[in-house]
Amino acid sequence: MELFVSILALGSTYALLAAGIVIIYKASRVVNFAHGELAIVGAYVFHSAGFVTGASLSAPSLLITIAISAIGSALFGVLIYFSLMRRLLGRPTFVAAMVTIGLAIILKAGIVVIWQSRSVGIAIGRQALFNFAGGGRITWIDLVSILACIALFAALAGFFQYTRLGRQFRGAAENPLLAAQRQVNINLILALAWAFAVFSATLAGVLFGSRSMLSPQSTIIGLSGLTAALVGGLDSLRGAAIGGVLVAAATYLTARLISPTLAEAVPFLILLAVMCWRPWGLFGTVEELNRV
Amino acid sequence: MTTNSPYLHVSYAETNRVLVEPYQRIVVAAIVAAIVCLPFVAGGYFLHLMNLCSIAVIGAVGINLLTGYCGQLSLGQASFLAIGAFTTAILSQRFGVPFFLAIPASCCAGAVVGFVVGLPALRFRGIYLAITTLAMHYAIIYVLTNYQAIVGPSASAGISVPAPSLGGFTLNSERGWFYVLLIVAALVVMFALNLSRTYIGRAWVAIRDRDIAAETCGINVPRYKLLAFTISAALAALAGSLGAYFTTVVTVEEYTLELAIVYLAMIIVGGMGSVIGSVLGAVFITLLPFGVGRVFEAFPWQLGTTAFGVQQAAIGVAIIGFLLFEPDGLIEIYRRIATYFERWPFRYRELRAGGSR
Amino acid sequence: MSEPIGQAPLLDVRQLEVVYHDVATAVQGVSIEVAPGSIVAMIGTNGAGKTTTLRAVSGFLPAEDVAVTDGTISFGGQSLRSLLPHQISRLGVVLVPEREKLFQTLTVHENLDFSLTRARQPIRDAVYDYFPRLAERRKQVAGYLSGGEKQMLALGMALVCEPKLLLVDELSLGLAPIVTSEIMTILQTINRNLGLAMLIVEQNAAAALRVASFGYVMESGRVVFKGEAEKLLKHQDMREFYLGDRKAGSYRNVRQYARKRRWWG
Repeated sequence: MELFVSILALGSTYALLAAGIVIIYKASRVVNFAHGELAIVGAYVFHSAGFVTGASLSAPSLLITIAISAIGSALFGVLIYFSLMRRLLGRPTFVAAMVTIGLAIILKAGIVVIWQSRSVGIAIGRQALFNFAGGGRITWIDLVSILACIALFAALAGFFQYTRLGRQFRGAAENPLLAAQRQVNINLILALAWAFAVFSATLAGVLFGSRSMLSPQSTIIGLSGLTAALVGGLDSLRGAAIGGVLVAAATYLTARLISPTLAEAVPFLILLAVMCWRPWGLFGTVEELNRV
Repeated sequence: MTTNSPYLHVSYAETNRVLVEPYQRIVVAAIVAAIVCLPFVAGGYFLHLMNLCSIAVIGAVGINLLTGYCGQLSLGQASFLAIGAFTTAILSQRFGVPFFLAIPASCCAGAVVGFVVGLPALRFRGIYLAITTLAMHYAIIYVLTNYQAIVGPSASAGISVPAPSLGGFTLNSERGWFYVLLIVAALVVMFALNLSRTYIGRAWVAIRDRDIAAETCGINVPRYKLLAFTISAALAALAGSLGAYFTTVVTVEEYTLELAIVYLAMIIVGGMGSVIGSVLGAVFITLLPFGVGRVFEAFPWQLGTTAFGVQQAAIGVAIIGFLLFEPDGLIEIYRRIATYFERWPFRYRELRAGGSR
Repeated sequence: MSEPIGQAPLLDVRQLEVVYHDVATAVQGVSIEVAPGSIVAMIGTNGAGKTTTLRAVSGFLPAEDVAVTDGTISFGGQSLRSLLPHQISRLGVVLVPEREKLFQTLTVHENLDFSLTRARQPIRDAVYDYFPRLAERRKQVAGYLSGGEKQMLALGMALVCEPKLLLVDELSLGLAPIVTSEIMTILQTINRNLGLAMLIVEQNAAAALRVASFGYVMESGRVVFKGEAEKLLKHQDMREFYLGDRKAGSYRNVRQYARKRRWWG
């Protein structure tokens, strides 16, 4: 049981990362290589915000910290869109992907410069919620991870299926120029996509940071997030959720049953396997593989 | 009879000329003379930087042939460099193989690995290809990390490589390395220039632009894609191997994904699809961190440990800046200036097929 | 050559020049006027520059790295040249493109609802009246519709945007003649009922001139002839080169016959 919950908790972190990557891909066919870095930067910002507001577990300052991080991350996403991604509309998508690689470099260097590569942890919710006889335990933060993930995915699914903005989103993802002609403001849609992506990345980073120490090297979780997104299908939210759980399960089980060092290799092994057998993932639309 | 016109060619030799205008030949001769005389006027530090640039040029030319000419976006450059370095290290340290055998052997190892990495390329294009090469990069680095942990004196000390020696002459001075690396880099550049002007180069450009159309024209697309991977990986292995001899120690930690992106940055900044662009980009990106460091030294506040971070950030800024504002790279800036002076009062150069002008 | 008389034109394109990638001039010195409430047709073969003109008016060209280098485009007195596609669309100039004219992954209902506001609901219901076939297939994914139904859906989507000027690009492409004439008739009905001005680009000159009131003929990026539709239908050059009214004769006659189009009168 404890294994199950741990996998779900880790899986929800990966699923949140994958959701951000999928949203940006759905909106603009761009693969965001900076997602891991965005998550860790968000977590560092949360930690520093907590420092500033003197947050411990007291409710008001914690809420303020959460509010600052949430709004700040969304605004940062909008900023990234308007300053960088907007100028790349109409260019081949791999150019935008390379710009996200450049952004990843800058963000990682930013962690080194601003926080001096200190390792920090987010000490919230670490108390046990439930203790098992064999010594394992479920913490509050595990529960929060899983619930937050479920809530977010449910909200997204509803948004895309039932609201007009969600339908305009899907249309704009398919054909931006036509959507523009049909009086949909493309900039609004893409800015929303980026705001959401950075917000969910920050959420994932904070949840991750409450379980392990953060350092500039932690940005490697971006690889797991990308793997999860690919396993599920780059344009499928359902796939992001399931992919996240699958990658988490594979990593966790490998670490527990075989060896921890091999567990580092699991994400890219899965990546290789996906590319060999089913590049478009479990639920992705089968694009011709010549999408550039 | 020859004419010096870039438009009117009266012999095959003229169509194959690299330096078309007379002033270009003078400029190139002057540059070559200046470079040859450089070690006699410059200090050791400067020569060291130039050596780093030469090694980078070899690697950058390699990846430009793959990504710039053939259009196969590859994130695996660092793993090819690592293969070259490790092969050299193993051969020269464990088996005592002399450098004139170790270096070609490293190139062959790189070519083989490049071939293997290129096989998935036949299925994918664009982002999916990049992700596949990314996965291969991690796989290769993982294997090498485990190897180094087993073999090396300690897990991260790496493998030491003796300096190359022939007869009684050992290569371990900056000046000696300068000439050796310069000659190798020049040979590589000439090789790449010639390759780009032959059928192979044109086939690559056709594949980059529209590989379905290339296939219908009779170009064997899988063969040329694999050839691009093989040659590019061999050149990267050559760079890695020379780097191993130059720094005399090989550690797997320096062959990170960031290094692959640094090489991509070199060709983005220099100009994809242009061999001279690779040279310009390699020099620019190699010298950029040192330049940034020098600039910050002039400022009153000290960066200390964060200097490294700022230098890394500078590379990211260079990538984004060039992609947003000058996507054709430094070579395009040069071409615009050259066109202005050559063609004035006309504005445009004649269009030439093959993607490069 | 007469021109539409009376009021100021709704769309006024003057001396338009469009250049592709700094290299190839697609459209040169083209002047087109659309009077309010009229249907104007642009006729020509492939490569004449008709689609380019239409895309220049609706602001699509900068996204494709094509530059409008000269000329003015004004709609109701306002210049369209520096506006973005969604701004032009909100002014009332709506384009039905030649390819990629609807969202393949959304259903018919979702496509029509794309630009819906509360005020536009009666228009959306009217679309179902004009195109009964769409009403039957409300829940079907648009990618699986037949060619004619797709064209109807594309027109319906454009109508929901409350256009003041409808630009239709190559309506008949890939459609059977009977479907083409059905849709053209519906367009004529809409024009009469709503007084909606339309600019139609067509290769099928006969079908277009039957519904239009005024026509322009384009060749190689220039307007070579213009006139009222009845006049064009009767003109000698038009009959021979665009309407397929070749003087029948023996093969020898046809081979030696190489009359240059003069476009006189």
